Amino acid sequence: MEYNTQEIKNGVKLHTIKTNNFKTNLYAAFIATPLKRENVTLDALLTAVLRRGTNNMQSQDIISKKLEEMYGASFDCGIEKSGDNHIIKFYLEAINEEFLPQKENLTQKCIDILLDIILNPLVEKNGFKEEYVQGEKENLKQIIESKIDNKTNYSIDRCIEEMFKDKAYGLYKYGYVEDLNNITSQSLYEHYKQLINTCKIDIYCSGIIEEKDIKQIVEENENIKKIEPRQARYVINNEKTEEIEIQETKMVEDQMQVSQGKLVLGLSINTNKENSRFTASVYSAILGGGANSKLFQNVREKESLAYSAGSRYIRQKNTIIIACGIEIENYEKALNTIKEQLEDMKKGNFDEKDIENAKNLIIESVKSIKEEQDTQITYYYGQELSDTFMTIEEYEEKIKEQSKEQIVDLANKVEIDTIYFLRDKRGEQN
Amino acid sequence: MKVIESLNIKEKAYIEKLENGLTVIIIPKQNSNKKYVIWGTHFGSIDNRFIMPQTGEEVFIPDGVAHFLEHKMFEQENGTNSLDTLMALGIDANAYTTNDHTAYLFECTNNFYEGLDELMDYVQHPYFTDENVEKEKGIIGQEIGMYDDDPGWQLYMNAMDCMYKQNPIKIDIAGTVESISKITPDVLYKCYNTFYNPSNMVMVLCGNFEPEQILQEIKKRIVPKELQGEIKRIYPEKENTINKPYKEVAMEVSSPMFAIGYKDCEDFEQEKEHIVAKHIAIEILLNMIIGKSSKLYKELYESGEILSEPDLSYEFSSQYAHILISGQSKNPEKIQNEIKKIVEEYKQNGLDKEHFERIKKKIYGDYVVEYNSVGDIARMFLSDKMKQINSFDYIEEYSSVTKEYTEEILKNVFKEENMIMSVVKCK
Repeated sequence: MEYNTQEIKNGVKLHTIKTNNFKTNLYAAFIATPLKRENVTLDALLTAVLRRGTNNMQSQDIISKKLEEMYGASFDCGIEKSGDNHIIKFYLEAINEEFLPQKENLTQKCIDILLDIILNPLVEKNGFKEEYVQGEKENLKQIIESKIDNKTNYSIDRCIEEMFKDKAYGLYKYGYVEDLNNITSQSLYEHYKQLINTCKIDIYCSGIIEEKDIKQIVEENENIKKIEPRQARYVINNEKTEEIEIQETKMVEDQMQVSQGKLVLGLSINTNKENSRFTASVYSAILGGGANSKLFQNVREKESLAYSAGSRYIRQKNTIIIACGIEIENYEKALNTIKEQLEDMKKGNFDEKDIENAKNLIIESVKSIKEEQDTQITYYYGQELSDTFMTIEEYEEKIKEQSKEQIVDLANKVEIDTIYFLRDKRGEQN
Repeated sequence: MKVIESLNIKEKAYIEKLENGLTVIIIPKQNSNKKYVIWGTHFGSIDNRFIMPQTGEEVFIPDGVAHFLEHKMFEQENGTNSLDTLMALGIDANAYTTNDHTAYLFECTNNFYEGLDELMDYVQHPYFTDENVEKEKGIIGQEIGMYDDDPGWQLYMNAMDCMYKQNPIKIDIAGTVESISKITPDVLYKCYNTFYNPSNMVMVLCGNFEPEQILQEIKKRIVPKELQGEIKRIYPEKENTINKPYKEVAMEVSSPMFAIGYKDCEDFEQEKEHIVAKHIAIEILLNMIIGKSSKLYKELYESGEILSEPDLSYEFSSQYAHILISGQSKNPEKIQNEIKKIVEEYKQNGLDKEHFERIKKKIYGDYVVEYNSVGDIARMFLSDKMKQINSFDYIEEYSSVTKEYTEEILKNVFKEENMIMSVVKCK
C-alpha cells in the first residue's frame, strides 16, 4: 500500500492510494464547507441536483447507461457532517481492468465522469434545469420527512440536535423543509458558484493504479483546468469551536407510535488536552464498545433491560453518545443502571483486563481500515480535515499508550449533557 | 483437496469433505490482513418438522428455535460467554440465522488461532439449562419487539403471507413471544444433536491462509462424532398458486413502502441444474424492467413517484422461490400497474438486444464487486453451498445466458396471476 498526496492547485488536492487488495478502483471527490443554518438545505439539494445531469450527459439515464456499459460502474453521492463541516461526497467505483472479460481502460472515463458531474452541471437561463430542481426539492422533502422511519437513528439525531441546539453540529445534514420553498433554480446555482469557488476539494483514487497516470488525467481534465485556485473555507476538525458550558442536564422526551423505547444520552467531555481523543476512544470502548463493555454487560446481559446497548465516540465534537433500545416501563431502571456505569468509570471500577479488551477492540478496527476501500479513503480524509497526518500504525501506538490513570482522569470530566427518550404515546392503546 | 478456479477474477477455492462429513472451503487471499471464518449449519427457520436420524423420532418444534439456539450457543458451562471471550481478543465475532441456515463467524487480523479454538469449542459444546433458557426469552422478546416496529420487516413478512399459504418461510425467524415461551433445553438439544452434526455443516475460510496447513488446524480441533444419516425434513406440500394478491398495514412511516413480488411456481427439482443461469437471467430482467437506466424508472423518478431505485431480489431454495421489487412510493398501485405493462410489452416484443447486452455487463460487474471483501466472499460461498451452488458459477456462466433464454424465463416466471403486493401505508 502506498499513499501519496499532492496539490493540483491551491485548495484542490489529489490523493492516491495504491493497493492491490481489491477487484475495483474507487474514485472519490469530497467537497468541504462550513455547516451553516442558511446553507445546509442548499448543500443537500445541490448534491441531489448535480447527479441529475451535466452539459455532456444531460440526464440521469444517460449517465446510468454509460456506467452500465463500463461493467456496471457505480456512482453514488451523499452528504455528511464532519465536525462543523458539511461534506458533499461523490464516489465512482469500477472493476479494475485486470478482472474484465475483455481488456478495456476505464480509469480515464471514471475520472472524467466524476468530475463532469461535480464541475460541469447542466445550466439553463442562469440556473440549474428547472425540472431537476423542482423534482429534487420534492424528493429532499421526503428524505427529510423520512428521518422518523428509523427510530434508532432518529433518536440519536434528536439527542444531538438538542445537545448542540443553535450550534453548527446540531443541524440536520439534509436541512429543513421550511427552507426548501424559497429555493429557486437561480438561487441554487448562485449558491453552487459561490460554493465551488471557495470550498476545499479533495480527489481520491484507490486501487491498482499508477500515480503519475492519475495525476496526468486529473491535471489535463478540462473541468479541473476551469476552476480557480482558492483559499479553501472549512473548519479544521481539531480546533475547539465552542465552549461547552456544563449546566443542568437537559431532559427531552418525544412520543411516537412505538412498542420499544429508545434511550439516548449525550455526554460531553470537558477537556481539550492534546491526545485526549485517544483516551476518550478507550473510555468509550470500556463503557459501551462491545460485548464486554459495561453497558452491554450490565444493561443487556445482567439486567435483561435492553436488546441493544452501546456507546460511540464522536471525535470531532469530543462527545459520547450512549444508545439503548429498552422496554418503555424499564426507563428508570435502565437510566439508573447507565448512571451507575458512568460512576463506576469515575471511580476507576474497571481493571487492566477491561482496558486491554477495549484497546484490542479499537486496534482491530484500526487494522481493518485497509481492508475496505471507502473506509481507507475516509480515514485519510479525516486526517486531511484535521490538518494532521498520522499513519494507521502510529494511531495504533497512541491507543496502546493510554493508561488507567488517564482514563479515570477523563472519566471525571465526562458530564451528562442531554437525556433523550423516545417512547410510546401515553394513554393510547397500541 | 479439490480446487476450483475462476480465471476471470483470478481466484481459487479449495474444497475438502472431511471423514466426519464436514465440508471445508478455503479461499486464500494473500494480500489481505484479515482472516474470516464462518461455520454454518443447514438449519434455518423453515426447518420446523423433521425426523431425527439417530432415533427415527419425528419432531415438531416451536417457531424461532434455530434463532434461539444460535443465541444460546455462546453460553459456556464455566459461566463464560464465547462472544465476550472472542471480543476480548479483539476479534469481531457474530452469528446469524436465516430461512435456511445458521452461521457463526469471526474476523480478525490478530489472534486468529485463539479465535479458532474458541469458535470450534463453543459450536461443538452446547450448554442449555432451564435457567439460561428462561433468561434468554427476555432478550429475544426485546429483539422481536424491535422487528415489530420495523416497517421493512413487516413489509417483507406480509409479502410472504401473500405468496404462501402454508410455507414455513412465513414464520418470523425469531418466532413470537408466545412460540419461544415453549422452548426448553430438551428441544434445543434435540435440534442441536440433529442439525449440528458435521455432515450437516459447512465451514468457509477466506483470508491469508495456506490451504493444507489450515485444514490440519481445523482437523485438530474437531470433536469426534458419529457420522449420521440424512436428516429427513418434512415440509408442507408445494402450492402452485399465491395465497392472496394484496396485503396492507398502516405504520408510522413518512411515505408508503411497497414490495411487489412474483411467486416462482416452476418445479425446483427440474430447474436445479440451471439455477445459476436462471438467477442471472432474472437479475437481468429485473434491471431491464425497473433498473436505473430503464424507461420505467426514469418516468417514475421524474414524476416523483419513486425516490430511489427499488431493491431487486430473487430468493429461492428447494422450498420457495420468489422475486421481490421493494421500495418507497406515494403510489404503489401505479408502480404495480406499470410493471405489469412493461412485462407484457417485453413478452410481446422481445427484449431489446442492446439493452440486454448492456445490463449483462452491469450484472458481471455486480458479481465481481462481491470479491472485494473476505467477509462477503465467505458468506457468499456459505449461503450458495447451502443451495448446492458453487459461487464462481455466477462469474463463469454469465456469458452463456442468452437473450432467448432470458425471454423464456420472463414468460415462465413473470406471470401476472402469480403477482402480489404488500404495502405499508402511512398512519
